[in-house]
Amino acid sequence: MRKNILKKTLSVALVGAMAAGALSACGNDSATTTAAATEEATDAETEAGDETEAADETSGEDETSGGDVAAAEWEPFADNVTLTVPVYDRGIAGVPDVKDNYWTQWIQKNFGDKYNITVEFEPIPRTNQMQTYSNLAASQDLPTLCMEYDFPKLAQWANDGYLTSYDLEEFKSIAPTYYSKMEELGLLQYTTMNDETYFVLAERPYYNTNFNFINFVRMDWLEEVGYDHVPMTRDEYVDAMTKIQEAGISEHPGGGMMLSGNGADQNDGYRSLPLDETEWAMYGDFSIPALGWEPNYKLLKNANADYNAGITDPEYYITDQATSEANFVNGKNYQYGAYISADMPVLTSFYETNPDAKLAVIPADAATAETELYRTDNPFGMMIGFSSQATEDEIKAGMMYLEWMVQEDTLFTLRWGVEGETYNLNEEGLPVSVADYEGEYKQGNANNKDYFCCAVEAVNAGTVEQQIDSLFPNNLPQSDELKEQILEFYNTRVEQAEKGYGISPCLFSTVIEAEADEGTALTELYVSLRDELTMCSPDEFDAKYEEAAQGYLDAGYQAVIDERQEAYEAGNSTTLREDQKN
Amino acid sequence: MAKGKPAVQTVRTKTTWANAFKRDWQLYLLLLVPVVLVVVFNYAAYPGLRMVFMDYKPAKGYEGSEWVGWETFIKVFNNKSFLESLRNSIVFNLLDLVLGFPIPVILALILNELRFPRFKKVTQTILYLPHFLSWAIVGSVAYQLFKPSTGVVNIILMNAGLIDEGIPFLTEKWHWAVTYELINVWQTMGWGTIIYLAAITGISGELYEAAMIDGAGRWKRMWHITLPGIKGTIVTLLIMNLGKVMNSNLERLQALGNTQVRDFQYQLAVYIYERGLNNGKFSEATAVGLFQSLVGLVLVLLSDKVAKMLGEEGLL
Repeated sequence: MRKNILKKTLSVALVGAMAAGALSACGNDSATTTAAATEEATDAETEAGDETEAADETSGEDETSGGDVAAAEWEPFADNVTLTVPVYDRGIAGVPDVKDNYWTQWIQKNFGDKYNITVEFEPIPRTNQMQTYSNLAASQDLPTLCMEYDFPKLAQWANDGYLTSYDLEEFKSIAPTYYSKMEELGLLQYTTMNDETYFVLAERPYYNTNFNFINFVRMDWLEEVGYDHVPMTRDEYVDAMTKIQEAGISEHPGGGMMLSGNGADQNDGYRSLPLDETEWAMYGDFSIPALGWEPNYKLLKNANADYNAGITDPEYYITDQATSEANFVNGKNYQYGAYISADMPVLTSFYETNPDAKLAVIPADAATAETELYRTDNPFGMMIGFSSQATEDEIKAGMMYLEWMVQEDTLFTLRWGVEGETYNLNEEGLPVSVADYEGEYKQGNANNKDYFCCAVEAVNAGTVEQQIDSLFPNNLPQSDELKEQILEFYNTRVEQAEKGYGISPCLFSTVIEAEADEGTALTELYVSLRDELTMCSPDEFDAKYEEAAQGYLDAGYQAVIDERQEAYEAGNSTTLREDQKN
Repeated sequence: MAKGKPAVQTVRTKTTWANAFKRDWQLYLLLLVPVVLVVVFNYAAYPGLRMVFMDYKPAKGYEGSEWVGWETFIKVFNNKSFLESLRNSIVFNLLDLVLGFPIPVILALILNELRFPRFKKVTQTILYLPHFLSWAIVGSVAYQLFKPSTGVVNIILMNAGLIDEGIPFLTEKWHWAVTYELINVWQTMGWGTIIYLAAITGISGELYEAAMIDGAGRWKRMWHITLPGIKGTIVTLLIMNLGKVMNSNLERLQALGNTQVRDFQYQLAVYIYERGLNNGKFSEATAVGLFQSLVGLVLVLLSDKVAKMLGEEGLL
């Protein structure tokens, strides 16, 4: 009898478990998520409460609630409001769970709890944003704030009904600091699409100098083949690479890796001033490569020459980023480009593997392409829109969140963390991150950037020199030397920016439908055409290029450039600086 | 009914649904799970198919999206990329069928002839193993083995002096087509034998004994007993596989693909993923998916009819 009962119970339990497991993905999960989140939040609040107190003690700050001006006027919501904020899930090993960690709990405690708002974070895979947002939209689960860096993506969302327009005056009254910042930085002009106000724009410091992306090269190799400087022209570059090959230092010093379609092959270094503004509006885009345009032709011609000279790795198109970095560390590649940060594991490993090696920074005025022109970022960082599926209260909570986030003390704590744990003060009293911090206050990717990016793209302390000092690793054999070179790079970039060498992509205030329709397919197609052109024999290059360009136009690029031209001629786009155009 | 057999009669009358359910309710309960799964995922989703007649925008939902009739189909069928992906899907799935279908049958026949039980079990396990590897792993290992200049296979061949230049197993489209097919055969053949081996166990041992007494050797027994014994299973599986001629496996294509083989790699799964899902064109993706399913259904029905005409049991 007992055996029977046991058997029955086990059967039911087994079936129950299977059914629950099998159907767990069904239906609208917002109810269950909310319930689970509430539970988590309750736990988190208790824990975060204690930890935050500890954090505040060590950092010597009282309350980091932020929003001093507007917050005084904010009343907590009568009924709890759920605010969902997207956060990139970059799949980086060792980074805390993006939706639930010390800092998400800190945000809940210091912002959410005060105004009866439950702040939830929606992880967005960094390489799959559009599909993730589509799925969220289809299940009516769009985050309250929808954020992305690329203007065309936001434009598409606005067009597809993901976003609701908002009242700029209301935003100004709820988030005065944020509004003033947009006004001061001249960003208000980018808030509209099709004459409706849709976007809020975060600040991007140093957008026109891009000094945080640096290319490092093997100076020891260059010295070995008779160079006392980094090649400054295309001819010098080819000569140096050939000598490195001939000296047997590296078989394929140029290395290389497979391209991702989006943002691939930027050709600004093959343009020259003055620019034709119509052409710039038609082709000068960041996301869809301009196959068929003269600067792109020149770029690929050089890529073809490098490939055929063996400078480029013959297997570059099946080499991923990790392998390419490993090739640099293992002394096979001449160059490594990366965003600088206090912790740069590739450089650390490089010096461990090659203790006698010497690196140098490619100067900003090196014209190894053709000219000194370079691409600047958009004048803004993150673009934020409000979900069309959100209630009025949720949108208001979203505006309050942005205002709270933009406050200096909020940003400081999120960026630097806890003194004595995640950062220390240097002799000048400036914060310096602890590069390899592991502990309960461990921050998210790039010092919590994915949380504060809705307010500002980078939080810096002190002068540029001091920033570089804190932004670059201190523990490398050449730290001081490279920091100096990065500062030189920045100073040159400032001069170049003044001369109008920094080219920003054209932005449209109407939706370019063809971009939305064909953009992804075109970028995928581009990569395969581009590799074919890179690897063909130099004699065939011109004919093949022409054929590929025609195929690309037919596949939809013609429609894209036609529509862009139309929008430009109708005055629905940004324009070049006066000194940049003819 | 003849007298003297009341017991048999009693048993027959008592085997009702109610009795069967009472006796085996645990099994029926277990059956409920797959039935619910089929209903939820295969039938409950049907109303969603109406998006093929709409310009479906996720944020606007079904009610808010514009009704466009057959426009999506017209757009898809006029798209050059679609036609290219359709051609590739059909060619490569037929190749899968031609190369991949007979191998498990042959392998099952061979395995059935192995007489040393432990060796048979070890062999079977080794053959099943690739089935449990994801395509991501298979793809990654394949590249390590078959890269033109740094792949292990090419290095060995070059060191042995058999070739001067690396063979572009995965980086030239014709070589890729062969490698792509062979890797699939390797990955699926072991698992495919399971059903045939099960069918073989259903063949009466008496037939083999009688054949042996009549002097039939292994080859004759295999040809005249085993193969005919599993013919029904082979036909059923063939019909089911014909229904998959329009399908394609995105994971397999992504794991083994690269830019140099896009001419062949660009199959319907890639088309749906790139244009439909990545670009947010759900209506187009669904239209292609529906087209694939309908063609698959027609092929299954047709092949079933042909099988029946040829005197086989068929599937339906």
